[in-house]
Amino acid sequence: MPSWATGDPVDSLSEGLEALEAYKKKDPAKVIVRFKAVGNAPIMKQNFFKVTVSNRFQAVIQFLRKELGWKAGEPLFTYINLAFSPAPDDTVANLYRSFATEGHLIVNYSTTAAWG
Amino acid sequence: MSNYGTARHSPSSFSSPASTTLFRRLTWEGTVPLEIRVDSKELPANSNRGLECYFIQAPRVTYLPLLIPEIKRFLLDVVFDEEAARILKEEDWWFESEDGHLLKWHWPIGLIYDNHTTLASSRGGASMSSRPNAVPLRLILHLASPPTDKLLLAPSAEACKQAFMGQLKEADFLRWGNTKRMTGLRKAEQDGIWEGIKEHNFDDYWRVASKVTPTTTPARPSSPPPSAASVSLHTRPPSADPQGAPDRDGAYSVRSVPVRLYLPEGPVMQDLAPPLLEDGSPNTLSEFLSLHLPLLFPAPSSSSQTPRNLAYPLIQGVRAPPEAELAWLGACLAGADGWVNVCIGLLRDVQGR
Repeated sequence: MPSWATGDPVDSLSEGLEALEAYKKKDPAKVIVRFKAVGNAPIMKQNFFKVTVSNRFQAVIQFLRKELGWKAGEPLFTYINLAFSPAPDDTVANLYRSFATEGHLIVNYSTTAAWG
Repeated sequence: MSNYGTARHSPSSFSSPASTTLFRRLTWEGTVPLEIRVDSKELPANSNRGLECYFIQAPRVTYLPLLIPEIKRFLLDVVFDEEAARILKEEDWWFESEDGHLLKWHWPIGLIYDNHTTLASSRGGASMSSRPNAVPLRLILHLASPPTDKLLLAPSAEACKQAFMGQLKEADFLRWGNTKRMTGLRKAEQDGIWEGIKEHNFDDYWRVASKVTPTTTPARPSSPPPSAASVSLHTRPPSADPQGAPDRDGAYSVRSVPVRLYLPEGPVMQDLAPPLLEDGSPNTLSEFLSLHLPLLFPAPSSSSQTPRNLAYPLIQGVRAPPEAELAWLGACLAGADGWVNVCIGLLRDVQGR
């Protein structure tokens, strides 16, 4: 059976650590996030934003709350593609790669649980 | 783990219903050892010191908030006095690893364990390789001041359930481009799938999960009917089997397998993972890793014979072989939330232990 075995042990470990460092670097690229209100949620005048892909979804939620002037504790539910709530620690990069529609990551927001 | 790599000439011949059920059962029954110690600085007065450590063999598919009732029972029975028990608020509890990493409420425990294993592989010294297998993961339980901004979720079983359902739906969306299978479940079924996790009941979980998880049943009419023995092992209700029908729910019909790659200190990477390559051959773990982590898993080139991998993938605690097919992993080795979590560890010896 093929395995993941490698060559020189010392070399491979330091090379591996270098590779990990490279993957840890934050990607400065930006993508377009488009917010769409659902139900009774207030509509945003400007709803396209360029967001750095290394941001977590949690940061997107916080940004949206600020834009809407939402106070702490006021309920706001967020979804991707009218379908699901991603984990708050998932990155915009991951969500964009998997779920972008016509070059936008569509984030729906609602004051009540919609697709909980 | 060698019997499924042999028959891989066509996508539909790689797996029998019996082996699917076997691997789903193995995944479900997998457990990890945990050593949970209350932070000594937070032990209430009059605690029975020296006993504040609790050992548990926890299912890989469960979550930290679901362990709290059991831990609490132990602490109340053995460690705390009545006064301490009265003021104890479990909504303030949170966990840290021994080296000060916050442990996520919404990560399956198996993922927390595997991520810790691969993290150790990337740290200097002989930490992990000199220790015997299956050493307990040491967790510190804090009784106060949860860092809610970093935990991201309220530390409750209800918040954990919502996060779990969200992951199931995200996986559903990745596979089929919609969440019709998940939203088609009745409320009782949605609750039942979570009860299956809480009670760690394989049959309860799979009774519902089989409606959203792709099948590996060979769709060809020429394939032999499953033997009586494998039928009794097989928990999928007969009505859900696509006997004779086109393989609409098959593992190779999905748009993308829900896969995440966990590097030791981050990031977590996720991308579309089609079950078949453009030439129609099955997409394998090694193809996927070479594409997304080429520095660690260099792709074979015409000039060099064997590429030199610097890392290995750990799935459900198992070093998965390079030729493992993504579709098969998605149907058989996914966690209860539908995701194949691949933790990447660095190789530190020739054999790759």
